[in-house]
Amino acid sequence: MAGTARPRRRLGWVAFLFMAAGLGAALAQTGSTTQIFDPKTHKWINYDRKKARQYYAAHGQVPDAFRRQIVTFRTAEKPGTIIIDGNQHFLYLVLPGLKAVRYGIGVGRDGFGWAGIVRVGRMAEWPTWTPPAEMVARDPNAAKFAGGMPGGPDNPLGARALYLYQGDQDTIYRIHGTPEPWTIGLDVSSGCIRMNNDDIVDLHSQVQVGAKVVVLMQGAALYKGV
Amino acid sequence: MRTAFLAEMGLLTGLAVAGCSSTAPEPQNMARTTMQTAPADLQLTCASAAATSAGVDANKVLPVGSSQLDATRYQVDLNASGQRYTCVVDNMGNVTSVQKAA
Repeated sequence: MAGTARPRRRLGWVAFLFMAAGLGAALAQTGSTTQIFDPKTHKWINYDRKKARQYYAAHGQVPDAFRRQIVTFRTAEKPGTIIIDGNQHFLYLVLPGLKAVRYGIGVGRDGFGWAGIVRVGRMAEWPTWTPPAEMVARDPNAAKFAGGMPGGPDNPLGARALYLYQGDQDTIYRIHGTPEPWTIGLDVSSGCIRMNNDDIVDLHSQVQVGAKVVVLMQGAALYKGV
Repeated sequence: MRTAFLAEMGLLTGLAVAGCSSTAPEPQNMARTTMQTAPADLQLTCASAAATSAGVDANKVLPVGSSQLDATRYQVDLNASGQRYTCVVDNMGNVTSVQKAA
């Protein structure tokens, strides 16, 4: 018995070291920090959750770069296609004439980032939020809404939701609004793409069910539709 | 002595001017992440080129990584229906190479 225990323990350590190395590699791939340019000091400063909240409190909106704007976008993708650059925290809605609307977004935190080619399967206004079972199990606040939280200003899905499908299957990922607009530009979610409510309303008004959605995310933990 | 003083003043003036003239990015570019990636449209340009090269549906080609090679060029790594491709594209959207990865 003791003779078999030692190799098992050694194997356990080897497995642990491999897991630690793998985790380190994964974090090295995905661990990036958002930075904003400070015009006063002419320096790039780290933009984390605390800084983002302070910025929003002081300015009542997110930094310029994360606000809705028309940009040049050279692509062969059809107008109406959605391109998500998860690493840079931008969502592009392709327009005719090599242009796009660019919106700021919040994306999945480390280990929750994903990439792929999916489509808008359905859309909803002031959607009901139903927390996943594992969130219900670990979070008493979420448990209160195990049966579904009605749409409204405090609902985590915000004003609109675009449900992303792979073929005919719901991926469980959504592009949605948020009651926490200061989180735009950060890696904060469990894989969903969040936008401020004005922006998701604007996007929802321009997108058709069936629209192609390309999600770019270097170092993604998961791939969908490819 | 005077020449050295003038040279020193000239140097200091030059440094001050250089410091003052360091250009700030346009407001729309005042955010970035420490992970430098190719712009999304250039990644998609490479995906389109790789689809043609691999003879696969463009809806099955996904950029999975990218990096800046120099001031004007990016390398984009692609998954084309399970096959790995590498593409080089410049910042004007011209694809200069598409190769199947070894």
